[in-house]
Amino acid sequence: MPLKVGDFVLPGELIEDIKSIKGLTIVGPGLRQNEEKPNILCVTQPGTLRFKAPNMYWIEGKRKRYIPKKGDLVVGIVVKKSGDTLKVDIGAAEFASLSMLAFEGATKKQKPDVQVGDCVYAKLLNAHREMEPELVCIDSYYKAGKLGILPNQGFLLTISLNLTQSLLDIENPLLRSIGKKIPYEMALGVNGKVWINCKKSKEVIYLMKIFDVAERELHKDAVTVCND
Amino acid sequence: MENSKQIKLSKAILEMKFMKRTKEKVEKEKEDAEGQAMYSGEITEEMRRTGNLVFISTSIVNCKNLIDGRLSFGGMNPEIEKLMANDYGIQLGEEEKRKEKDITDVEMAEGYSTVVNTVEKKFSKSNKHKFKNKKFMKPVDGPLM
Repeated sequence: MPLKVGDFVLPGELIEDIKSIKGLTIVGPGLRQNEEKPNILCVTQPGTLRFKAPNMYWIEGKRKRYIPKKGDLVVGIVVKKSGDTLKVDIGAAEFASLSMLAFEGATKKQKPDVQVGDCVYAKLLNAHREMEPELVCIDSYYKAGKLGILPNQGFLLTISLNLTQSLLDIENPLLRSIGKKIPYEMALGVNGKVWINCKKSKEVIYLMKIFDVAERELHKDAVTVCND
Repeated sequence: MENSKQIKLSKAILEMKFMKRTKEKVEKEKEDAEGQAMYSGEITEEMRRTGNLVFISTSIVNCKNLIDGRLSFGGMNPEIEKLMANDYGIQLGEEEKRKEKDITDVEMAEGYSTVVNTVEKKFSKSNKHKFKNKKFMKPVDGPLM
């Protein structure tokens, strides 16, 4: 039975008749090319099969562990400083490396002031299965933009990847509506780490509670399905 | 110059001092031919294995059109809010526009085409009816005046 878009799929299942443009198909997380029959995709994680016109496939599951992917914007904690490189915990299987020279305006002589324990908002420069992920805090024009070291005052918490993705969806009005009540700034990494900064610590706790409730709301449908 | 294809030069001639350049040329040709023969089997094997689809893997950010996570609201960090106006503001505007349009362009086009179809059917039907009505009536044979 051929799999349809929106079906629940399990690892090992095959997706045939792939749509493509000029022989090109974009594949998101949870899928990989089948080795035996190269025109077929193989599922590697359980979840719902999603498709976006014209040629994009991916799996939406309840994955807990973040898998680094090139181009992702993540929040990380500096855990080690050795020479010119920093080791950053981004919640992946391995620490990511961040060069001291990959900050805006950094030179060999003038390095940024980073301490162990600092939070950084950085972009993944490359991420392969066999290599340690590499971060940068500048874009291709050597400008920092929104990237860089996050201020020391602030609070870091970890939320689920599903909640992160739903919060980062522009259709989700939660972040904007909180902003109307409480002035706050945040760095929401795709890896599930969130750095929040408010004027009062009471407001930080308030935000944390909101995320907690939002997380439970996300799982509500799963609970109701199980009860039925 | 026309030697290489038609006439095969003998080894003895190629060994001569003034034939050095020709010798190199002949040897290169020979090598190329050998190489092609050697790899042709492998190329077909490879071609058989790889399909005609190219897969590019991408992050969930591109799949779901996620926004940048560095946000500031209520004037907490004016610098970030200035940067946000460039992307977050535009994305928000687009989103609102999309919401306002409760019927998408595709739906509109589909609806319109069905309307066209039904109207067309109606006309075709009515035409048939007209033809049915306009049957040729045989004039009644009767005594001529």
